[in-house]
Formats: sequence, structure tokens, C-alpha cells
Amino acid sequence: MKDLKHLIYFENLLQEANNDLVKQAKADGKRAIGYTCYFMPEVLLDLPGCFSVRLRAPRCTSPDLATYYLSGRVCHYARSLMERALEGGYNFLDAQMGTETCTATCRFQEHLQQKHLDSVEDMRIIDNDDFFCEFSDIPFKNTENSYQHFETQLRAHVLEPLHEHFGIDISDETLLKAIEDHNEVCRLINEIGDYRKLDNPTITGYEFHVIQLVSLACPKYLILPYLRETAEEMKTREPDLKKNYRCKVVLAGSENDDPDFTKLIEGCGALVVCDRFCYGAVESRVPIELQEGKSPLRCIAEHYLKTSNCPRFMPQDEMRARKKRLADLAKEYKADGIIIASNKFCEYWSYERVIDTFILKRDYGLPVCSIEKEYINSASGQLRTRFQAFVESVEIKHIQEGK
Amino acid sequence: MAISFDVSKIQKKLAEKKEGVQKTVAELKANGFKKNMHDFWYGKPHTAEPGGRRLGELYEDKTGLLTHREWRGFKDTMYYMYMIWGYNYLHMVTDILKFSNNPIDFLKGTWRYRWMGQTYLPVIHWFERGLQGMRGEALYASAWHYRAMVSASIHQICTFFNADTRLHGGKENDAYKHTIFTNETTCGTLFYPWKDAGYQYVSMEMIPYFVTCHVNSHTVLNYIDAVQSLGLPGDPCPMCQAESGLFVLDDVPDSSPFIITCNEACDASVSTHTLQDWFADKPLFALPIPMQFDDPLVKKHCMNEIEEMWKFVEEQTGTPFNWESMKKYLERQNKLQRDEWEKWEVAAKTNFYPINGVAQALFRIYSTQYGIQTDCWEDASEKVKKIMYKCVEKKINPFPQTRHRVIAWSCAPLYYSNWCTWAYNCWGLNCIINMDSLMFDMEIRTDSYENMLEDMATYHMWAPMRRMAVGGMHHIFELWDYMQRFNCDMVAMYDQLQCKGMQGVHGLFEDEFRKRNVKAFWIPHALPDSRTVSRAEIRRQINDYMTTVMHEEPLDPSLLDFDDSMTW
Amino acid sequence: MKKCKCRMAKVFFKILKIFLIANVALFVVFFFDLDGKLMFNVVEPFLKKHYDNMERKDVLQEPYDLDKFPKYKY
Repeated sequence: MKDLKHLIYFENLLQEANNDLVKQAKADGKRAIGYTCYFMPEVLLDLPGCFSVRLRAPRCTSPDLATYYLSGRVCHYARSLMERALEGGYNFLDAQMGTETCTATCRFQEHLQQKHLDSVEDMRIIDNDDFFCEFSDIPFKNTENSYQHFETQLRAHVLEPLHEHFGIDISDETLLKAIEDHNEVCRLINEIGDYRKLDNPTITGYEFHVIQLVSLACPKYLILPYLRETAEEMKTREPDLKKNYRCKVVLAGSENDDPDFTKLIEGCGALVVCDRFCYGAVESRVPIELQEGKSPLRCIAEHYLKTSNCPRFMPQDEMRARKKRLADLAKEYKADGIIIASNKFCEYWSYERVIDTFILKRDYGLPVCSIEKEYINSASGQLRTRFQAFVESVEIKHIQEGK
Repeated sequence: MAISFDVSKIQKKLAEKKEGVQKTVAELKANGFKKNMHDFWYGKPHTAEPGGRRLGELYEDKTGLLTHREWRGFKDTMYYMYMIWGYNYLHMVTDILKFSNNPIDFLKGTWRYRWMGQTYLPVIHWFERGLQGMRGEALYASAWHYRAMVSASIHQICTFFNADTRLHGGKENDAYKHTIFTNETTCGTLFYPWKDAGYQYVSMEMIPYFVTCHVNSHTVLNYIDAVQSLGLPGDPCPMCQAESGLFVLDDVPDSSPFIITCNEACDASVSTHTLQDWFADKPLFALPIPMQFDDPLVKKHCMNEIEEMWKFVEEQTGTPFNWESMKKYLERQNKLQRDEWEKWEVAAKTNFYPINGVAQALFRIYSTQYGIQTDCWEDASEKVKKIMYKCVEKKINPFPQTRHRVIAWSCAPLYYSNWCTWAYNCWGLNCIINMDSLMFDMEIRTDSYENMLEDMATYHMWAPMRRMAVGGMHHIFELWDYMQRFNCDMVAMYDQLQCKGMQGVHGLFEDEFRKRNVKAFWIPHALPDSRTVSRAEIRRQINDYMTTVMHEEPLDPSLLDFDDSMTW
Repeated sequence: MKKCKCRMAKVFFKILKIFLIANVALFVVFFFDLDGKLMFNVVEPFLKKHYDNMERKDVLQEPYDLDKFPKYKY
């Protein structure tokens, strides 16, 4: 396939959290708001006057200082973020919108929270006088009580602090406009991503992963023109004459902002056609629907609780339904199997992976490759062997089925 | 069953015994009559000087069994034999007769469930480990706490077995229909409204997992291995692994038509219930504990969640919420809380508090978790208070060799909860209070439904571990306040290697200890899994700290190093 | 009467003897931790063997039905 025009530019943007577009937005006088979790609605952080940056710590391989603070028995992702913060890599942030959605990232963010404890000396990790960190309580269920609660939390801990600290307009009209802009990004990403559903996809999983990540890590208003251009480019992109993959897979699992991991899988012959993991597009790029009689904020609160497939969701029906949703994605994207990848020390996904491995195979007949990975993996020979073996097993299955 | 004898082993043992007897005889001769009579009547003194007691010499190698029990002086040995050892053996039987609908079910359950058979029988050895070296009022009072815990445990076991369909040919009897299953850390208090209608609530894992770790730490290893055999990595919290493993090995009684779970205390607990849901396959209601519990906005949400759970119970049982029942048991619980405050006051301000570290911690966890299901907590509390009043009145210091008043922080090693008994005997480290005891540190108002619900939400959010281990950082560092309140000069900092919440504040604690010049030692452990950090390793770490940092000499050098790797 | 008293004394001493022997036996069991040794060396290994060899349900065969239970939303 012909190279995507902006791919190298996108790749470069992903080398640093404080990338060129972030710098440009800061120079435009906008406030950079960091977050880590899907449950912090990025649409609220992209209101006029500020922009969202989903935190990453690219190329962080040895988080030594962070290991002192968080110990070596906490997920590598949280430690990498902490290391980058201690190195001064997030000093561009004006605020961090914290969520206690997983313990490790919560602890990282608590270290950023300044001047709130008499009992611990302020570490002032983010060297920015304006910086503040605010936590929201994220419900575990998608019930009416949870929607109400989430809406209250978002107002009290996201909108109001943004207004108080930076004078951000948080009126309903502004929120409606933000939703519109957000949906535009979603529409473009989905348009690009849908080419993965073709019998012979015209985009690789790696390319899509890069595009999805830049949409999370860069100011939306600055990345939009590039996304539009890429979407246009995709319309005429021709697939390679000869298929250069041996099977198609859905990649599901915990936090993954490392496109090289997708590249590693694809290097073993499995084309990643769907990305249902934290930082993936399956949930985060579902457009927000406005509902009559409900405020924009309420719609946002409901949207994020309804669309999430996070294993921290506790209701019985939800726990069971998300297995089916994963199987449905495999069908929708014409995948031959599923790779479930959990980060080492990620407790949610360690369990979810075990259940998925059994249930998807037993109840939905899908081959499953179950692996545990680190935050940065590109050099892993062991994983390569696992993926190669999985691809072979899928091929053998196809031969046995006479496909 | 083939029985083989290794003659050389037996000969070696006999030779050792002979040597031991000869040594004792020589010692008695050397001591002289007066000293021997003094030791007979009062027991050997707790001192490093020659002639002092040497508890480490009582252990058999590796097993932790005793060549013989300690002679605590005539009165205390007789008290121990009749009022602790004999009394509790006897009451283990009478409690079964009292709480069981049919004692045969109890035997069937013992045969059916590993956690039951392997754990119940060595209970008295659990007393032994916790009470070793205790004398006088410390021995009497601490033993009452143990007694209450055993009684409550039997009550729970009987609740399981009375209702268990597996022990009744698959039949769902009346007890089954009147049992509410909860996950371990859902506080029992929430189910008082159904108590007067004959409903019993029981945690699915409190006895099969939690109690077994204290009594016989071998049992739980089977469950941890079982869940890992499904492909679960070894790094999630081992408590949650063990809880899941119970289901993997099909070792949870089928005693209730439905289940209520919660997310206490951590990510792994949330995930545990996904496995439990699959394997139990029963109606399940998730009752989350909100994470940002200091936020006043969160309370309303939590109150709604609790009310939804009550609706679920009403729906499942067909029995309405009963405010009078709720009020009645809450008032009893509040009284127990006030008793505890009274005890803490004495512990904080005087040297007359007669409960040792392990008895204090476990009693508090067991009682708050199980709630007022039997009278045992109140009975024990009254007895202990009487002993405590006597200590205060007569100025008896039950721990006279105290060198440091220690506060234990974070979550404790379940397989070595009695480390503090060892630490007192070996080093004079008296564990005054610990973090687990400070959970649920409140009364619940009963003057109106609204007030009760509001307090209940707080109570629910102040669950064990949630508030101070995995919860917001602010509460974890309440340590400094509690150190001051309980007049402690040293911190025993538990380092649960697989607790992401506590690992995530490790460095900050190090920093703060240094800045504040707080004397603190770390106790690494993996909650129930004694294979990760052995008891000997825990002792070694404390020994190192006491010798290299504190430059102190042990009170009982025989306890510095001994091998109890195979012990319960 | 004398005979009766003598008989009562005999019974009394017999009871006392039994009581003393029982207490001494109990003391031996207690003091030498014979109960612990019995549990550790005999009872526990026996029970462990029993539990290890017990037939158990393969829980992985448990159904995982989607709509078996209502949503419990109130």
C-alpha cells in the first residue's frame, strides 16, 4: 500500500507528550489538561481555552526514580508516567483531571496533587504554579444513580475547577459545541477505522493505532486538519495485490499506547483489525448522542458509562455482556481470533483475560491468544514466538475447516 | 495405609530428647532450690540474663510444634490449661451443639471442605502462637478475644452448613432460604434489617479464606495455586486470588440463593467477583464502595447504592426491610464501639491495657466484619473490660518488658498475625494499636432512618483496607495522628508486596519517615501466602532493624532465629 | 452406718483417683503439646490426602448465560 502522507509526522508527534502541536496550542494561550483514563471525558477537557492530553510516556524503559516511589510491583505504565513527571516531562500541564479508576494510576496522580495534605510534604512534581490536580469519583455501574452521580462529579470536579482556575466557559452552549467538535473527530477516526472491516483492509492496525493515538495526545483543533486529509486519502487508497497478513485479529486488553506492540503482532502475520483496549477507538470514538430533555453534561455522563467495556464495571449483566460484545466485534471486523493482552500488574485485566480466554473459546468458538505484556514491548522475542504460534494455530484451524 | 519407620531418625530424636532432659536436670541442679521454687511458682523471668525464659528452645525444628508447652508459673499454667486450652476445646464442641441444626452436618462439612477440616482442628495452636509468653492479665484478657473469635467462627460455619445444599442431598431447606451470602468485605451491619425475620448473613470467604490463614496457613495455598492454574498471573493481590481459588476448587458451600458483592478493597476484589459470578452462577448484586469517599457529594450516591441493595434483598427474600431490627442491632453495635473506645483510651494513655497486639487486631477485624450475629463479642468485651479495670485500679502493667510502643500500619501478614507476640517476647516491642482496628471507627445514629442511612454510607466507605490502605492518600498518612494519639514511638510498617495501593505510597513513606525522624521498620509479606516472605524472613528484618538501627539487645535471644517453616 | 460411710469414702476416693488420673493425663497431653502433634503428624496428613483425592466439579464447565438473571436496576 502507498504510505500515508502524514504517518511519519504522526509518529513524530507520538515521541513526546509535549509534542509540537501541544507546544503550538500552549503558544496559542490554551491550557493543557492531562488525564489517563477513558472515564475522564475528553470532550470536557477540549472546551474552548483548553485542550486534553491523554498522558503517555513514550520510550520510557527504565523508570528508576518512579520505582522508588511506587515500587517495582506496580504496573509499568503508572511507573513510566511517574518517571516522566519526575523528569519534568509534564511540566507543560496546567491541570490533571484524576480518576481513581485503577489503583496504580490513581497513586501516580495523587503524587501530582499538590498542597492538599498536611501529612505529606508537597513534592511539586509538576513545576507549574498554575497546576492543580482534581479527582472525580467514577461509578462502577451504569444505573440511573450512577448517571446522576457522574454528572454531579463532572460538574464539581471538572467543569467548575476549569472555570474557577482558567475562566473556561462551561455553559451548555459551549458544551454542545464541544460535543459537535468531538463527534467530528470520532466520525473521522471511525471513517478511517472502518477500512479495517474490508475483506482486504486498506489500513494496517499499526497505522490506525498511530492515528487514534494522535487524536488522544494532541489538541483536537490542531490535529483535525490532518485527520480530515488522511480520511480523504483513505478513500482512494488501494490494498496490496497480495495479502500480506495470514489472519485478522481483534486486540483487546488493558492500557496500550504503544503502536510498536501492534507492529510486533502484525510482524508475525496477524493484522490487527480492531482495538478494544484502553486508548483504543472502539469505545472512545463512539459519537456522543444528545438526548431530548437532557442537558449536554448529562448526555456526556451517560455516554461514558454506557459505552465503556472496562472490567471495573461490576453489575452482573454488564460483566457477562462484555464477553459477548467482544465476540460481536470479532464478527463485525471479520477477525479470525482475539489477542487478549493484559499489562503486568494490571489486576482488572489479569482476571478478565482469564475469563475471556475460556469463555470466548468455549461459548463463541473464537481462538484466543492470552498474553501478559509490559508497557514497552517492541523487543520481546517471547511475545513474537507466542504470536507466531497463535497465527499458525489459526491457519491450521482454517485448513481443518476447509477455508 | 503403609507405615514406615526410619530407625535412625527415631534414634536421633531419642538422643535429642535424652540430651534435653539431661540439660534440664543440670540446669535445675545449678539453679538451686530457691530459684527453682520461684520459677515453679512464677515462671522464669522475661529477661536476657541467665536464668531467664527461652521460648525459642521450646520449638521443635521446622514444625513450630512445642517439645513442651511453656511453664508460665503455677497459677498461669493452670489457668492456661483449664481456662484456655480445656475451656476452648470444650466450647468448640458446645458451640457446635448450640449453633448447628444438626451436628452431623458439621461432620459432613468437615469431610467435604478442605478449609474446614484442615483449619478447625489446630485452632488451639492458634491460641498458643498468639498467647505465647503472656502472663497474668495479658494472658487472661487476650484469651477472651480469641474465644470470641472462635465462637463467632463456629457460628458462621454452622450458618454455612445448616443451609448447604451439598450436605442436604441438593435440597434447598429453610435455612438456605434464610441465608444471605456476601463477599468477604461487605460489612455485615448492612443486613441487620433482616435479622429479626430469621435471616443469617455470612461472608463467602471470611471463614474459608481469612480465618484459615490465621489458624492454618497451609490451607490457603491450595486455593492460590488453583486459580493460578487457570492462567491468572501471580501478581494480583493474593487475598483475591485465594478467594477466587475457593470457587475454582468448588470449595464454597451452596448456602444461599443469591450473593451480594462489593469492590472492597481494590481492583483485584472487583475482578474476583467476575470469576465468582461465573462459578457461583446465582443472582448477584454489586454494591460498590465509592472511591473518593472524602468528597461530600459521594455520600448521597453511596446512600442510594445501599438502598438499591436493600431493595435487591427484599426482592430476593420476599421480606421487607425492618427498621426496628436495624435499630436494635445497631444500638448493640454502637455499645460495642463505645467499649472499644474505652479500651483504646486506656491503651493510649496508660500502660495498663491488657490485650496483646494480635488479639486486639483480630478481634476488631472479626467483630466489625461479622457484626452482631451472636452475643460473643459483647460477652468478651465485658470480660476484658473487667480485667482492664482491675489493671487500671491496681496499676498492673500487663506488658512490663515494653521497650517501645508500636503502631502497626497497613495490612498485616495473615499467616503471621502473631508476629507481634514474638516481637514483644524477643524485643519488648509492644504493638499497641494497628490500622485494621481503626477502620469503622464510628457510631451509627439510630434516631432516624435518614441519619442512619447517612452514617451507614460512611461506615460502608470506611471499610477495612479501603479507607487507609487502598483509599485516598490522606487517610494513609493519618498514621502521624494515630501515633500521637496512642503515644507510640515506633511504626511497624507492613509492606504487602502485592497490594498496589500500598506499594504506590512506598517511597512517600520512606521520605516522610526520614523527614520526621520516625523509627519505623518494614514487614514485607504477601498477605496469606507464606511462601513469598517466610516468617523467618520477617523476624530477620525486625532483628536487623533492632540491632543495626536501634542497637538493642534481645530480651530472649533464643527467639532470634529458629526454623518454623512448616508450621501452621 | 459405718459400712455406709466407708463405702462413700471409697467411692469418693475412687472419684478423686479418676479425677486425678484424668487431670494428670490431661496435663500430659496439654504440657507436651500432644494434641498439636497428633493434629500435625496424623490428622492433617490424613485429611490432606482425602481432600487431594476428592472428586471435584470442573467449574470451567459452568454455563455463562447472558440473560439468565435480570439487570437488578432500581
